Amino acid sequence: MFTRTPYECHTRLAVDGQWHARPGDDRWARLIEGYRTMALIRQFDKKAVNLQRTGKLGTYASCLGAEALTTAAGQTLQPDDYFVPYYRDQATQYLRGVRLEQILQYWGGDERGNDFPADAPAVRDLPNCVPIGTQLTQAAGVATKAKQRHEHTAVLVTCGDGATSRGDFHETLNVAGVWQLPLIVLVNNNQWAISVPRRLQTASRTIAQKAEAAGIEGFQVDGNDLPAMLDALDYALDRARHGKGAILIEAMSYRLSDHTTADDASRYRKASDLHAAWQREPVARLRQALVEAGHWDGDQEKAWLEHCQRQVDEAIDSYLATPPAPATDMLDYLYANLPPALLAQRAQLEQRTTGGHHA
Amino acid sequence: MPYFTLPDLGEGLQEAEVVEWQIREGDTVNVDDPLLSVETAKAIVDIPAPQDGTIATLFVQPGDIVHVGEPLLAFEGDESSGSQTVVGNLESREGDDNRDDFVVGAVTDGQPGVAATPAIRALARHLGVNLDRIKGSGPAGSITLDDVQQHASLKQSHGDSTPLRGVARTMAKTMASAGAQVVPVSLFDQVSVAHWPDGTDITLRLIRAIVSGCQAEPQVNAWFNGEQLSRRIVDRVDLGIAVDTPDGLFVPVLRDVANRDDADLRDGLNRLRRDVEARKIPAKELQGATLSLSNFGTLAGRFATPVVVPPQVAIVGAGKRFTQPGFRNGEVFEDVQMPLSLTFDHRALNGGQAARFLGAVLASLSE
Repeated sequence: MFTRTPYECHTRLAVDGQWHARPGDDRWARLIEGYRTMALIRQFDKKAVNLQRTGKLGTYASCLGAEALTTAAGQTLQPDDYFVPYYRDQATQYLRGVRLEQILQYWGGDERGNDFPADAPAVRDLPNCVPIGTQLTQAAGVATKAKQRHEHTAVLVTCGDGATSRGDFHETLNVAGVWQLPLIVLVNNNQWAISVPRRLQTASRTIAQKAEAAGIEGFQVDGNDLPAMLDALDYALDRARHGKGAILIEAMSYRLSDHTTADDASRYRKASDLHAAWQREPVARLRQALVEAGHWDGDQEKAWLEHCQRQVDEAIDSYLATPPAPATDMLDYLYANLPPALLAQRAQLEQRTTGGHHA
Repeated sequence: MPYFTLPDLGEGLQEAEVVEWQIREGDTVNVDDPLLSVETAKAIVDIPAPQDGTIATLFVQPGDIVHVGEPLLAFEGDESSGSQTVVGNLESREGDDNRDDFVVGAVTDGQPGVAATPAIRALARHLGVNLDRIKGSGPAGSITLDDVQQHASLKQSHGDSTPLRGVARTMAKTMASAGAQVVPVSLFDQVSVAHWPDGTDITLRLIRAIVSGCQAEPQVNAWFNGEQLSRRIVDRVDLGIAVDTPDGLFVPVLRDVANRDDADLRDGLNRLRRDVEARKIPAKELQGATLSLSNFGTLAGRFATPVVVPPQVAIVGAGKRFTQPGFRNGEVFEDVQMPLSLTFDHRALNGGQAARFLGAVLASLSE
């Protein structure tokens, strides 16, 4: 068990990698797997930013600093659960079976990036949601249906701290409470909504306390702490699967990147704040803890980073070598059956883009 | 030489100001090494190297405004090898030989969508009118009832029109765009070439003469940006050579003509011509000319006002040679004259510069 309150952040690892409460012997394999994913995603993320900077990717939202909480989500979701992401959930998506090249395709404007592999848990998940907060009510809808079907599954939806100011967030918590939905709302409180700092976002002491008004449980967790996040999500998802109601989790993190590649955080974020945040960052913290406990070493680190490099390079090569999608795709996935008016447009589009016309 | 152009740095921003270079010409870089920082309307961003390589040339300096797609730098590389990639182009068209949408300088935008209400579309279907072929006269270019009816009656009396395709279509757009921007002035002159030995390679002589003109007046070998009103004098002469084909006009580019020997230039010319005729020329071979030559005299015509295609600032036309009586030491002899035309963009050059250039070209030809 662990402390669950809206006003105190549940932590397992100190910022220097020292354990507040050491895990049992059976827990290490999961932490090592988590660390591997976090290191891979960090490398992937850095490369994705560079691809954007060299014109090979569209605007990209970095997940730098969100590795622990998103990896924990991927590690705790069961294959039958549903994941409804916002847009910094690369690690979760990867663990749900979305291929790295598909994540690149998505940010490269290729909808095929959302065509998740049919044999992966991700096939039950929703695609990224760039509009702020709209995924929350959709997740409540998914959870409602799951409950109606007596599925014993959980729905996990993520959003940022900025989204908690929207009506969608409060509406979602409200129905989740009153209908006892199997819904976990995971807020990645990375302290920034583009350039708006957390203190200008809400007068509440914490975001987790907003659960109280909806009559559901809410608590704060250190989002830079993988074992703490695993505690929180194991507990919350299990409860949801067993019909014990919705939970709001506020994961405390820090956005170490710009908002997106179209942003320049140095214009509004103090360098000293960023520097302080780097001292708490999740990847180095977990690495230190693993090394300390004798479950990871320099050779393993080197070999793993080389592996990551290869895996990321292969994903990039595959992404860059993928021929563009046909223009007709933009209509083909809108309706199960295209209305007659759009059928005519589709024919026109097909003729123009393949019929030797000037595209 | 592989060029690296300014990528789209996010959300449709079209230009950026160069803040600082982190590398210099001659430096060797690895992929992802920082190259330069630029400032857009939204952010200062660091642009990393897209590939490993040695930096041959930096095209821009701190303070310069660069537009998306304009070159930032060139990596060293063998021009004739297949490595001449344009990196930083999200929609690479390399290897797509079937496309017709290249030629004659910059490619302009694609076909705009048709704006028409459902009722107008229904009427058009009924009358058998293709809305793609109608220019709308309504608000924001939308197609009106009158437009459709007019088109239908024209079609009834004169038959259907044929839309231009491929090279011809691109030429029409490029020329319309050039015509709308450039302020053209033409100079005409002629020069005696009676002393040329039989078998003189006329195209090579013209190329040498143009190089000589560029040395006398470097401002003619330049790119001009009409929106920014800025000009970049280019050291290297990359000469666009107009080639007429049954499919339309092509202007492949012969690179660095000032520093290649005759045999090499002739080889290059033959290769370009062969590739154009076989329709195998890659789009990149049609881009980046700094000056152009139209040697229409091989067909007919003495003088012309050929069109300057931005960002170039001038084009030389060589006409059909003709005989006329000449005088030397009081004696009449059968002289051979070559007519020359120079059209220049008066926004970028003045008459004196153009005339000095043409004078140097003539002097070279009369040697």
